[in-house]
Amino acid sequence: MSGTACACQEIECREIEIDYSLLDKIIRDDYGGNKEAMIMMMQAIQQVYRFLPEAAVKYLSQVIEVPITKIYEVATFYASFSLEPKGKYILSVCTGTACHLRGSGGLTEHISKRLGITPGKTTSDMKLTLETVNCVGACAVAPVVVIDEKCYPKADIATLNEFMDRLNAE
Amino acid sequence: MIEATQTATPPELKKITSPDGLALFRQELERRHDPNAPQILVCSGTGCRAAGSAAVVDKFKEVLSGTGWNGKVIPLAKHTGCHGLCSRGPLVVIEPGNLFYQRVSVDDVEDIVNKTILNNEVIKKLQYKPANSKEVIAKASDIPFYAKQTRLVLKNIGKVDPTDINDSILRGSYSALAKVLTRMSPQDVINEVANSKLRGRGGAGFPTGLKWESCAKQEGIRYVICNADEGDPGAFMDGALLEGDPHSVLEGMAICAYAVGSNRGYMYVRAEYPMAVKTLRAAIPQAEALGLLGENIMGTGFDFKVTISTGAGAFVCGESSALMASLEGKVGRPRPKYIRSVEKGFRDSPSNLNNVETYANIPAIITNGGDWYKSYGTERSSGTKVFALTGNVNNIGLVEVPMGISLMEIVFGIGGGIPNKRSLKGVQTGGPSGGCIPIPHLIPDINVGYGKLAEVGSIMGSGGMIVMDEDTCMVEVSRYFVNFLFEESCGQCTPCREGLIRMKEILTRITQGEGREGDVELLVEIGNFTNNFSLCGLGTSAANPVLSTIRYFREEYDAHIRDKKCPAGVCKPLFHYDIDAETCTGCGVCKTKCPVKAIAGEKKKTHVIDQSLCIKCMECYKSCKFRSVKIM
Amino acid sequence: MKVLNIVLNGKAVTAKMGQTILELAREHDVFIPTLCDSPALEAAAMCRLCTVQVIEGKWPKFVTACNFPLRRDAEVVTDSPEVRHGRKLIIELLMARCPTSPELQRLAVDYGCDLERFSPLNDDCVVCGLCTRACEAVTGRTLSLAGRGTAIHVDTAFQKASTFCIGCGACVQICPVQKISMEDVDGERRIILHGKIASRVKLPQCTSCGKFFGPLVDLKQVMERMGEHLIPPPNACVCPECSRRNLAVKLGKRYFEQYGVFEEEGQADAG
Repeated sequence: MSGTACACQEIECREIEIDYSLLDKIIRDDYGGNKEAMIMMMQAIQQVYRFLPEAAVKYLSQVIEVPITKIYEVATFYASFSLEPKGKYILSVCTGTACHLRGSGGLTEHISKRLGITPGKTTSDMKLTLETVNCVGACAVAPVVVIDEKCYPKADIATLNEFMDRLNAE
Repeated sequence: MIEATQTATPPELKKITSPDGLALFRQELERRHDPNAPQILVCSGTGCRAAGSAAVVDKFKEVLSGTGWNGKVIPLAKHTGCHGLCSRGPLVVIEPGNLFYQRVSVDDVEDIVNKTILNNEVIKKLQYKPANSKEVIAKASDIPFYAKQTRLVLKNIGKVDPTDINDSILRGSYSALAKVLTRMSPQDVINEVANSKLRGRGGAGFPTGLKWESCAKQEGIRYVICNADEGDPGAFMDGALLEGDPHSVLEGMAICAYAVGSNRGYMYVRAEYPMAVKTLRAAIPQAEALGLLGENIMGTGFDFKVTISTGAGAFVCGESSALMASLEGKVGRPRPKYIRSVEKGFRDSPSNLNNVETYANIPAIITNGGDWYKSYGTERSSGTKVFALTGNVNNIGLVEVPMGISLMEIVFGIGGGIPNKRSLKGVQTGGPSGGCIPIPHLIPDINVGYGKLAEVGSIMGSGGMIVMDEDTCMVEVSRYFVNFLFEESCGQCTPCREGLIRMKEILTRITQGEGREGDVELLVEIGNFTNNFSLCGLGTSAANPVLSTIRYFREEYDAHIRDKKCPAGVCKPLFHYDIDAETCTGCGVCKTKCPVKAIAGEKKKTHVIDQSLCIKCMECYKSCKFRSVKIM
Repeated sequence: MKVLNIVLNGKAVTAKMGQTILELAREHDVFIPTLCDSPALEAAAMCRLCTVQVIEGKWPKFVTACNFPLRRDAEVVTDSPEVRHGRKLIIELLMARCPTSPELQRLAVDYGCDLERFSPLNDDCVVCGLCTRACEAVTGRTLSLAGRGTAIHVDTAFQKASTFCIGCGACVQICPVQKISMEDVDGERRIILHGKIASRVKLPQCTSCGKFFGPLVDLKQVMERMGEHLIPPPNACVCPECSRRNLAVKLGKRYFEQYGVFEEEGQADAG
């Protein structure tokens, strides 16, 4: 069984091919179908698709017998879950106190202005998602920017511009 | 060539099937361990990793595995947890000799191997020099940052390889558990912990012995839960403990389980600490394989199984009832705690929840006794506390100090004072639930303790300690913390949700120059309401940053509201920069630093800022040695 | 069962171990305002309107009356100035969100609220959680409190009309600000929430009289809970009125056949 890919390229309509046997492996094999591990199952599913597709959530609901509205509640409560597809790169600006005092707010502002998106949103060409994260614990090298799990210490406008220039060239 | 084999599990050392077996195991490890064999300890804590320490380890391994060793022992280059002095990272310590190297890059590695390792030659440029001196300090233990600390709970971090349990066993891990299982009853353990007067290190400071005692009295299945959801921005003590010495925490949890009568443990780690999760996921199976965790621990029949659960990005899940809801796969909404979680917690069962640092203290308390622990600290706050010292301070990093130490000693004695010749304005403790302490100008000094910090309107908190200098706007700090909680509040109760909406509204207006007469009074009214009427600890401490900054820095609020000015030069609509003609030397540094080319001026002549171009990024202000850029 | 000595607003009374302050207050005709409390549901203590002060040791503390269990001798003060001030703020803040609640409007007068103090948030919800808790108590399949903090709101999964709802209408009944409505249109029951259709439930059509009637899923749910599995097959689908009429006719026929008299329904009995 697999989902269908919609022909139109609108973000809302774009459906993802769901690999249900992979979902089974995550839900049943890795976590034993245990309702208590639901958050970790959702994280594993999000790891695969880079967001939580509705079809996957529906399947999860059926297998572990938790109402879909409850899963939706959990997905909208925890900041790390996304119900919308993410961009190719995820750029997180740390907003911890040390980073904030060293100007991370200005970095977020700069990226927002340059790309025309606010934190939580993705550029229209789906290349970059801008996020903020609450303290990664690298306060000595504040301000910190994380791009796809790689930490950029003492980030500044020049570093960010360089990254965004490279992105444009892709 | 003889390869150092300390890390390979010797074939004859298998599962430990008795507590005495652990002692024998350790003796065997000691026999094989040559304390004079060189070791290269590379800090792999989050800060140093961000600065590139992983590449440094790899380069060491590459260079060391090359030819040219004439029968000498190849030093071990190992990842260790956070050494603590994060502002000087990546850090490398070479043993024996305790030689300290700072800011080590990949390019320095070959030099270190050729000169220091092979020829005992010290590389001066990599050595530590205090902020305002050229005198090098060779040994890590002599550096004031370390020398002035009392590293009890952090004693293994930076010395052991967290991915190799043998390293931890060599330094004593699990011997306290062995003692407990052979020579102490559960009540003996509770008594010892109570005797130590250890108080919860997560922030609230509840007496740990009392909590364990209450849990032990309950009926039914009991759970031992470790709160590793360290969400305070600027706090990374628990992260460092889990990444650098996971076994001390696991051992503490096992001892607790024995004391309260539990066989099931859960470690709830926040999603933003993937390295800690990875370290634990490797450490637990290693301990289980040796019979130190899991079923039939050390052959005594005592079972304790630990499961790791991850958070998903919610600060409120650091609150114990929200954490337990999250452990059950639900939203992390706190529930009213009129019935404590030791009675009804996880799965509505008695649950003992403690912070990472609290558990990490337990093995030493068992080994050395409660009296030993009480010999540190004060009457009401015994022992030591790990703080994450960050902000405008020279030595940023993790410090462990005895309770009762003066805050000024931490900031100046250990922290090395304020950089860039700025003056100290205040210290914020307790994160978003804490307050700003106006040292030294309003309060000359304060001895760190639970009660003392509460008296001045702050809290101990989990350990985040943020040093603020004169360039910090306290109104903006207040707005920052309210904004943080505005996003992290679960939203279920009126006072917290609505109180934060309105406080954020008011503070944002004030920092944008639209403050109104009566705003401060309204903030105080809403703040007290939120603190008194909210459902959980997040809400009942949400207004602390607002109320404490109003209490101690009222003149800044007044300046923002009445004069529409930000004296600290932070709130952009409320100030501008001007270069003082009298002190400007025309050196041109500000001009080169300006990212928007808003400064004009010839060499040796007064420079001028074009206000229409200036984006108030602070670069010129920070870089001018003569303090000629003035906040107007 | 242990009896506790409680001083309630200066009057000495007794309480049962574990009794909530709200229960005790109601026993003694002491009024404490509530919003998110319902006798049908477990207390959530979300609105905080029922906050009172209790003194169990030395210091008074603020607790919510609806769920604070009395377990020691204590003093309870339900209407101190601090408590009243807090309630005043709660009402002002909630009215700024949703000014049309009749209960809140009444309380606003009682507490002397200044309804101009806070700028309107233009929401139609006081986030009391009653609808979601009611839904959870019935089937738990439709409504939940999505989001967090200030973005918290009642929603259905993926903001789409729910296909799991049974159309019982508990949410409609329980909403204290009457912002959830239900309408039956063209054979479909719709629950309207925040101006959007939150669920659509098909209504079967009576094969006897042709009217649309209560959702089958609702009836099925009720019958399953009562331990019966009597679902009429689709082609014999009959609405409750027709069903009652048919049953009455059947019973009447049987009765009078037994006694040799046949009566049409509605005729006066002939003894």
